[in-house]
Amino acid sequence: MSSLGELQRLGSSTAGPPRKRDNRAAFFFLSPWFAGLVLITAGPVAASFVLGFTDYNLIQPPEFNGLENFQRMLHDERLHHALGVTFTYVFVSVPLQLAFALGLALLLDRGMRGLAFYRSVFYLPSLLGTSVAIAVLWRQIFGADGLFNQVLGWFGVQGQSWISDPGTALSTLIVLNVWTFGAPMVIFLAGLRQIPVMYYEAAAVDGASKARQFRSITLPLLSPIIFFNLVLQIIHAFQSFTQAFVVSGGTGGPSDSTMFYTLYLYQRGFHSFDMGYASALAWLLLVIIAIFTAINFWASKRWVFYDD
Amino acid sequence: MKRFTRREALIVAAAGAALAACGGNGGGNANGEISGDQVTLRFTWWGSDARHKRTQQVIDAFTKAHPNITIKGEFKDWNGYWDALATTVAANDAPDIIQMDELYLASYAERGALLDLKTADKHLTTTDFDAKALATGAIDGKQYAIPTGLAAYSFVVNTDLLDKYKVTVPDDATWSWDDLKTVADQVSKASGGKVTGTQSLGFDIGGVNIWARQHGAALYSPEGKVVIPPDLLASFWQYQVDLAKGGMAPQASVSVERAGAPLDQSGTATNASAFGSWWNSQLTSLAAASGQKLKLLKLPGEAQASSAGGYYKPSMFWSISSRSKQPAEAALFVDFLANSQEAADIMLTDRGVPANTKIRSALVPKLTDTDKAAAEYLDTIKVGESPRVTPNGASDVEQILKRHTEDVLFARKTPQDAATSFVKELQAAIDAA
Repeated sequence: MSSLGELQRLGSSTAGPPRKRDNRAAFFFLSPWFAGLVLITAGPVAASFVLGFTDYNLIQPPEFNGLENFQRMLHDERLHHALGVTFTYVFVSVPLQLAFALGLALLLDRGMRGLAFYRSVFYLPSLLGTSVAIAVLWRQIFGADGLFNQVLGWFGVQGQSWISDPGTALSTLIVLNVWTFGAPMVIFLAGLRQIPVMYYEAAAVDGASKARQFRSITLPLLSPIIFFNLVLQIIHAFQSFTQAFVVSGGTGGPSDSTMFYTLYLYQRGFHSFDMGYASALAWLLLVIIAIFTAINFWASKRWVFYDD
Repeated sequence: MKRFTRREALIVAAAGAALAACGGNGGGNANGEISGDQVTLRFTWWGSDARHKRTQQVIDAFTKAHPNITIKGEFKDWNGYWDALATTVAANDAPDIIQMDELYLASYAERGALLDLKTADKHLTTTDFDAKALATGAIDGKQYAIPTGLAAYSFVVNTDLLDKYKVTVPDDATWSWDDLKTVADQVSKASGGKVTGTQSLGFDIGGVNIWARQHGAALYSPEGKVVIPPDLLASFWQYQVDLAKGGMAPQASVSVERAGAPLDQSGTATNASAFGSWWNSQLTSLAAASGQKLKLLKLPGEAQASSAGGYYKPSMFWSISSRSKQPAEAALFVDFLANSQEAADIMLTDRGVPANTKIRSALVPKLTDTDKAAAEYLDTIKVGESPRVTPNGASDVEQILKRHTEDVLFARKTPQDAATSFVKELQAAIDAA
C-alpha cells in the first residue's frame, strides 16, 4: 500500500541520517506496544510458565507437580485430536487465503478507477473477521435456517445445518478465515508496487507473455513478501480461537470437529478447572509455533529472493 | 492422657474461630451489621428473557426498601454463564450473589468458592424451608446454597400443533417410549416434515437420569462413582438414533444446532417440534416464546418402568461468593429472594416451585395458567429418591454427554462404543478433581 512505499521514499530522499537516530525513532513509536507488553502481557506470560508445572484448579493455591502435565499430554487423545484439527485448519486455510489475497492484489494493482474504494471493501472483512459479530453472523449464514440454505433452496437443494455437522463445520471456519484475506492482500499490493516497472517493460520488449512475466519477475521479486505473509498467517491461524468458540458455542463441537488447540486449552482451564494443564498446553503451542516458524525460515533460503 | 488447661483450650478455640473467619470469607463478616453507606452488590444469573425481566423487578423491589444498596445484575444464557463464572472466580472477581446449579455446586463448594450460609444466619433464615430440599444445598454439613425451588423432568406438548395435524394427545398415565415414537411419527408425517414430532432428548443429563432410573439404575453411586451400565446407556442412544433416522426428531445437524442455542430458539419454543423433554419449571418461559398452547405431560415409560424415573431436582440455588466484600448485605438480599412473599409474587415458578413451604402455600392460589400447571405437575407425578448431587469434577457431564450424542447421531460411534467411552471419560474427570 502507498504508506509503505511512502516510508521507503521518505527513507531514501532524506539525506542519510545516522542509523542510530532512526532506531531511536523506531523505539519511540514502538513504546506504546512495549509498555503494553511489559505492564499487561509479561506478568501473565511468566505466571503461565510457572503454572505449567503445577496442579492449579483456579480457586485453591497451585501445587507443584513437576513434569506431570507434560507427561499427561502424551496420552491425552482429545489433545491429539485437537492438534489434528488445528493442523488441518492451518494447512488448508492459509495457502487458500494467501492465494486469494495475491490474486486480488494482482487485479487491484492494474490501476483501475476507484482503487482506494475497492481496496477498502476487500480489507473490511479482515477488520471484522476475528470479531464475535462476524462469528455470530457465520452461525446464522450456515445454520439450518440460514442464508446459505436459502440460496441452496432456490436450486431445489435441501440443506442441513452446516455448522452443526461434523463433516462440514470445520470447512465453514476455513471459509471464514479465507474470507479475511484483506491484511495479506494489502501487504501484497505494497510489494507489487515495489517492483520496478522497467523489468516488465524489458520483458515485454523481449516478448515474454504475461504468465511468463508473472513467473519470472513478479513471483521472485515478491517472494520476501510472500514469505512474510506466510509466516504471519501461519502463526495467526495456529492461534485462532474466537471463530471456533462462537460458531460452536464454546464446545468445539459437533463431535469435537472444530476443537481448535486454543479452544481445548480454554476448556481445560475454565471448564475443567485444570489451569495447570492448560498453562502447560499454552507453552506447548508456543513451541509448536516456534518450530513451524523455524522450518519456514530454514526453507525460505531455497525460495525467497532478496534483491540486494 | 494430658488434658487441656482452661487457658490452652481458650487459645485453641480462638485460633479455630480466627481460622474459620479467614477461611469463610475474604472481605467482611457475614453476620456483621448491615452497612448504612452506599454498597454495590453484583448478582449473576442465567435464564431467558422472561426471567431477566422478572429478576430485575425483584431487584427493584429490594433496592426500594434498601436505598443504600445497589444491585448490579449480570445475566447470560446457560451456555455462556459457566465460562464467565469460572473466569471471574479465577480472577478473584466473582459476583457476590451467584445463581448456582446442582451440576456445579460440588465443584465450586468443595474448592472453597462459596460461603457457608450458616455463618450469615443473622440476616438469612432458612426455617421455612422443607428440610429435605434444604439438604440438597449442603455438603459435609455446610450450607453452601439455598434451593430456589423444585423442578421435575417432564414432557411438554404443543396441543395447538396436535390439533392442527389432527393427532390426539396421548394418555400420559400409560404412555410408553414406543407410544412417543408412534405419536411423533404421526405429527412428522401429517406436517410433511415441516414440524417434527419430538425434539431429540440426548442433550441434557435429565434424560439420561430418567432412562437409568426407569431401569432401576443410576448415573452415580452414592460415593460418586459412575455406575450406569454401558448397555443401558447404549439403549438410550439407540432410541435417539431411531428418532432421528425415522424422521420423528429433526435430522442430526438440526438437533445439534438447536441444543446449542438458547431456550427461545429450541424446537418447542419456535413451534418446530410438537413434543420435547424439559424441566417443568421451564414451561412458562417456553409458552412465552412459543405463543401457542403448551401442556405438561408425565414422562413416557413411567407406567412400564421397574422403578419411578421421575424425581425432584432443586431447580437452582442461591449462593454467595466466599470472597464477597459485603457478605452481610449479600445475605440480606438472598434472604429477600428466598423468604419474601413480595419477591415470590414476582418470580412465581420461574425458578421452580418454591422450596420455601410457607411461600409455596401462599403462592399457589395466586398462580395463573402455566405457572399453576407447573406447580400442580409436581404433585401429580410419582417420584423416587433424588439422585446424588453431581460429584466434584463432573460438572462437565453435559458437555461430555452432548459430544457423545453427536458422535452417535452422526454415526461416528456406535451407541455401545459411545457408552463405554462416556463412562470412562466421566469417571476420569471425577478422579482428576
